[in-house]
Amino acid sequence: MASKKPEQFDRVDWSELSESSRFDLSINSIGMLAATLPLALLWLYDYQFVGERGATFQAIGLGRNLDPLDYFFVFTLFLFFFYLVLPLYQNPRMTRYYWAEFRRNRPAVVSLGWLGVVFVGGLLGPLVISAPEQSILTGHQPPMFLSINEANVATCVGDVVNGQCQGTWQHPLGTTRGGKDVFAGVVYGMTISMQIAFITTTIVAAIGITFGTVSAYAGGWVDEIMMRFVDVILSFPTFLMFLLILYIYGAGLGMFILVFSAFAWGGTARYVRSKSLSVSEEEFIKATRISGASTYRVVRKHVVPNVASSIITQLTLLIPGFLLAEAQLAFLGIGDSAVPSWGQLLSAGRSDLAFAPWIVLSPGIVLFLTILAFNFIGDALLDALNPEAEAESA
Amino acid sequence: MGFGKYVGARVLWAVVVSLIITTITFLLLAAAPNPAIREAATQAALQGGDPSAAVERERELRGLNQPLYVRYADFIRSVYTLDWGWSESRSQPVTEALLQALYYTAQYSIPWTVLTITVGPLVGVYSAANMYSWRDHVATGFAFFGYAIPNFFFGIILLLIFGVWFEVVPISYDTSVPVFSVQNVRQLILPVFVLVTGSIGATMRVSRNESAEFQNSEFMKTAKAKGVSPLRSYAYHVMRPTLVPLSTTLVGQLLALFIGSSLLVEVVFGIPGLGRLTFNALLSQDTNLVLGSTLVFTFIAVVGNLLEDLVFTVLDPRINYDDR
Amino acid sequence: MSTPLLEVEDLTTTFSTAKGALTAVDGIDFAVAEGETVCIVGESGSGKTVATESVTRIVKEPPGRVEGSVRFKGRDLLEMSEPELREIRGYEIAHIFQNPQEAMNHCYTVGWQIVEALQIHRDVADETARAKAIDLMDRVGIANASSRFDDYPHEFSGGQKQRVMIAMALVGDPDLLIADEPTTALDVTVQAQILRLLEDLQAEFDMGILFVTHDLGVVAEIADRIVVMYAGNVMERGDVLDIFERPAHPYTQRLLNCLPEIGGRKGGIPGTLPDPLDPPDGCRFAPRCEHAVDACVTGDQPAEIEVNPGQRASCVHYRPGRDDSVVRDGIPDADADGEGVSSADD
Repeated sequence: MASKKPEQFDRVDWSELSESSRFDLSINSIGMLAATLPLALLWLYDYQFVGERGATFQAIGLGRNLDPLDYFFVFTLFLFFFYLVLPLYQNPRMTRYYWAEFRRNRPAVVSLGWLGVVFVGGLLGPLVISAPEQSILTGHQPPMFLSINEANVATCVGDVVNGQCQGTWQHPLGTTRGGKDVFAGVVYGMTISMQIAFITTTIVAAIGITFGTVSAYAGGWVDEIMMRFVDVILSFPTFLMFLLILYIYGAGLGMFILVFSAFAWGGTARYVRSKSLSVSEEEFIKATRISGASTYRVVRKHVVPNVASSIITQLTLLIPGFLLAEAQLAFLGIGDSAVPSWGQLLSAGRSDLAFAPWIVLSPGIVLFLTILAFNFIGDALLDALNPEAEAESA
Repeated sequence: MGFGKYVGARVLWAVVVSLIITTITFLLLAAAPNPAIREAATQAALQGGDPSAAVERERELRGLNQPLYVRYADFIRSVYTLDWGWSESRSQPVTEALLQALYYTAQYSIPWTVLTITVGPLVGVYSAANMYSWRDHVATGFAFFGYAIPNFFFGIILLLIFGVWFEVVPISYDTSVPVFSVQNVRQLILPVFVLVTGSIGATMRVSRNESAEFQNSEFMKTAKAKGVSPLRSYAYHVMRPTLVPLSTTLVGQLLALFIGSSLLVEVVFGIPGLGRLTFNALLSQDTNLVLGSTLVFTFIAVVGNLLEDLVFTVLDPRINYDDR
Repeated sequence: MSTPLLEVEDLTTTFSTAKGALTAVDGIDFAVAEGETVCIVGESGSGKTVATESVTRIVKEPPGRVEGSVRFKGRDLLEMSEPELREIRGYEIAHIFQNPQEAMNHCYTVGWQIVEALQIHRDVADETARAKAIDLMDRVGIANASSRFDDYPHEFSGGQKQRVMIAMALVGDPDLLIADEPTTALDVTVQAQILRLLEDLQAEFDMGILFVTHDLGVVAEIADRIVVMYAGNVMERGDVLDIFERPAHPYTQRLLNCLPEIGGRKGGIPGTLPDPLDPPDGCRFAPRCEHAVDACVTGDQPAEIEVNPGQRASCVHYRPGRDDSVVRDGIPDADADGEGVSSADD
C-alpha cells in the first residue's frame, strides 16, 4: 500500500533538484554575491570609519548601531533566502509536492505560521517598536483586559476602577517591575531568538557538511581520527563548558552562539559522512568520477542534494535546544544581561510571580510555543522524508 | 569472546575522552587571568606595597610560575586522585561539598530516571499499538508538551499553582526531613514531575516510532502464527527490540536534561544539590568548586555515554565487536 | 482421497483502506486432505498469501476482515474466539513464511524462539522443552543442534533459518502446515533441500501441507493438487498432472508458458494485475486474456465448470453450448513436457 508515495517522492525530489540546480545555481550565487557585497562594504565602513562605539548610520542620522552579530545574522538571512526560499520558488513542482505533503500535518502548518510571526516580528519589530525602557513609576502595569490591585503599582497608566488598576493598550502585555514594556520585551526577544536560530544553524551546517564530506573522502586513518573527534564533540557537556567559559572570561550572545554551535555539529557530520559514503558507492557516482568529475563537484551535485532535506530536519530539531539553553542562562542571570532575551524577561518577573504573573507568563508561553513549533515542524519534516511511516496511517 | 575486549576498549576510550575534556578545562583556566592574583595586586597597591612583588608572591604560592607542563601534570594528577582542593565559599574540601550536594541531587534524580525509563517505553509502545486513536493523540500531545515546555518555566508555574495558591506542596525545600518520608515526597513531587515531563516525551516518541516498525514486522506475524497472545507478543517481541534503538538516545537525552535542566530545577525549587552548588560557586567566584562541579558533570556525562554504548551492545545481539 | 482436513468455503478477505474497501480474496473455496499437499499458485499480488493467512486469521484485523467458513477437523475457525484460535495456531496448524531472514526476532536465540512456540501451548519444563527443541532442530537437519540452540538468528544462513522456522512449526506435531513461499528467498540448491525436507517431514508427521508459491517448478515437485489464483479468485483447480498436461484456463496456460522447462515462450504475461480497489466486471483475467469475448467482461467471475474429471476452470468458454476448442487449442506445447510432471507423482 505504501509503494506509491516513495516512488513519487524519489522521482520528484532528486532528479529535479540536481537537474535544476545545475542551471539555477549561478542565479542564486549571483544574487548571494550581489547581496553580500554591499553588506561587506557596510561592515568595512562601520569597522574602519565609524569605530566601535559609534552608531553605524550616524552619518545619515539613524541611531541604530550594528554589531558583528547583526552582520552575520543578515548574512545568514541572505543564505536562507537565496539557497532555501529561492530554490523553492524556482522549482514550483517540487515545492507544490512538498507543500501538499506538509499541509497534511495541521500542527506543523500552524507552527509554520507561528514561526513566521516570530520571524517577521523579530526582523521588523525592533524597527517599529522602540526598545523597552526603564521607567520605575509605571512598573507592574497589568496587561490589557486584566487588572491589579492599586497598592502594587506606583502610578496606574490606565483607569483605576474599585481600587484596581486596569490595563491599557499602551502596555498590551503589561510592564515589569522596572516599568519595561513586556510586549516590547517579547518582540525584542524574537530578534534574539531568530539570531540564535539562524546563526547557529548556519555554523552547524557549514562545519558538519565540510567535516562529514572531508572525513568520508579522506578515508583511512584520517577518517578514523576525524570520527573519533566527532565522538568527543558529541559527548561534550556543552552547557557546562559554556558555564566555565562564562565564569572565566565572561561571555555575550556571540560567544554563546559560537560555543553552542561549535559543539552541536557532531550529528550532522556523522550523517553527512555516512550518506557521502553510500552515495559514492552508487554506480552513477562511480561513473561520474571515472568521467573525471572532481570530488567537489560530486559533493556539490550529488551528496548535498541527497542530504539537504535530512540536514534541514536535523537543524530544525537542534534549534529548540539552543533557544532553551539561552533562556536558561539568562534566567539564571549569568548570561549577558544586556541581551534583551525572553529568558531575561522571565528572570526579571520571577520574584513578582504571585501578583504580576504576566511578566513570566508572556515570554514563557512565547518561548514554549516557539520550541513547540520547531518540534512540530521537525516532526512533520521527518514524516515527509519518511513517507512509509506516514503511509501506514492510510 | 570479543565482548571483554570490546568493553575494555570502550572503557579506555571513555578515559581518553575524559582526559581530553579535562585538558581543555585546564587550558581554559591556564589561559585566563587568575582573579586571585589580580586581587593580590590590588590588595598590595591599596596597602602601599609593590603590586608586582605581590603578584610574584601569589604566583609562587599557587605554583603558577612553574612551566605549563608541570602544572598540567599536577592538575591531571590531582583531578584523577580526587584531590580537588578547598572550597572557599563553603569552607570545606570540594569533594566533601560535592558529595553532600550529590545526596540531594540523587533524591530526585533516581525517581526521575526510573520513572522515565519505565513509563516512557510503556506509554510509547502502547501509543504505537493504538496508533492514531485518541489515546495515541493524547500521549503524543503530552509528549510534545513536555518536550517543548522549558522545565524551569514549568517549575515556576507549578510552584505558583500548587505551592502558592493551593498550598499543597511546600514552597521552600527543607533539608531536615528524612529521605523516606511523606514530607520529602511532597517537596520532591513537583521537581520530579517537571523533569519526568521533560524527559519522557522524547522517550515516548522514540519508542512509539521504533516499535511501530516492529509491530508490523515479519516476526510479529510469526509470533501470531505461533499462537502468542497479543500482550505477550508486545511485551517480548516488540518491547525487546525497541529497547535497542531506544538505548542509543535515552542516556543522551537524560544526560542533556540532567546537566542543563537539573541546575535550573534545583535553583527554582531550592534544592541544595549539584546544580545549585555549581550555580552558587559561579556566583561566589569559588574557582575550585566551579572546577570540581564541572568535573563531576563531565564524568557523569562520560560514564553515561560509556554505559549507553555498553547497554546497546548488550541489547543488540547482532552487533559485531570487531566492527568498532 | 481421504477425508478433508481443511475445508474453506466462500472465503472473503477485505481490507478497509483510505481509498475504500480492498477485496484481496474474493469468495474462494479449497480443501486440503490429511497428508496431502495443495499448492496455491498465482502471480505476486493475486491474494494467495492473504488467503492462507485468513485461514487462521493471522491477517491483521482491522484493517482486514475475514468472512466465509474455514472448517478444520470439523470446527469452523472463523467462529472461534481469539483464545481458542491461539490454541490451534502454531500447534495444530503451523505456518512458515517467505522470508526467513525477517521471520525470527533478532533479539532472541533460535532456541528461545522454538521453546516459546512449545511452551505457550503446553506446560513443559524448561529442560524438556530444550531437549525437544534440540531434537527438532536435529530432525530438520541443523548440524550440532545442541550447540546451535543458543545462537542468534543472524548467525544462521537463510536456508538454516528456514529449517529453524520449520522446526518451530513442528513443535505441536501439526496436522496442517501452511507454507507461504518458503523457498522463494533461498538459493536454488537450498530450495531443493528445503522442499525435500518438507516432503520427508510430511511423511514422518503425516501433515497436510497448504503450499503457496508463484513458482511452477516448485509446484511440479511438491504438489498433489493445485489451486490457481488470480486477483483474489480461483481460476482453475485440479490434480497436478491434469493441470500441467491439460491446463484449461487461459491464465493457467499463460502461466505454464512462462515456465522455461516447458519450453514455452519466454517472458511474462503481458499486462498487469487489475486494481484490487476496483476490479473489472466479469472474469478478472479478461483484460489480459487473448481469448476474451463479450461474455467475459460482464457479471461476476464465472462459476467453475468441470472441464475434465477432478479439474475445474472458471472460464466462460467451457460453459455448456460454447465451443471450448478456442481455449483448448490454445494449450501451449504442454504435451511436449514431461520432466516437470514426472517428479510430482512420486
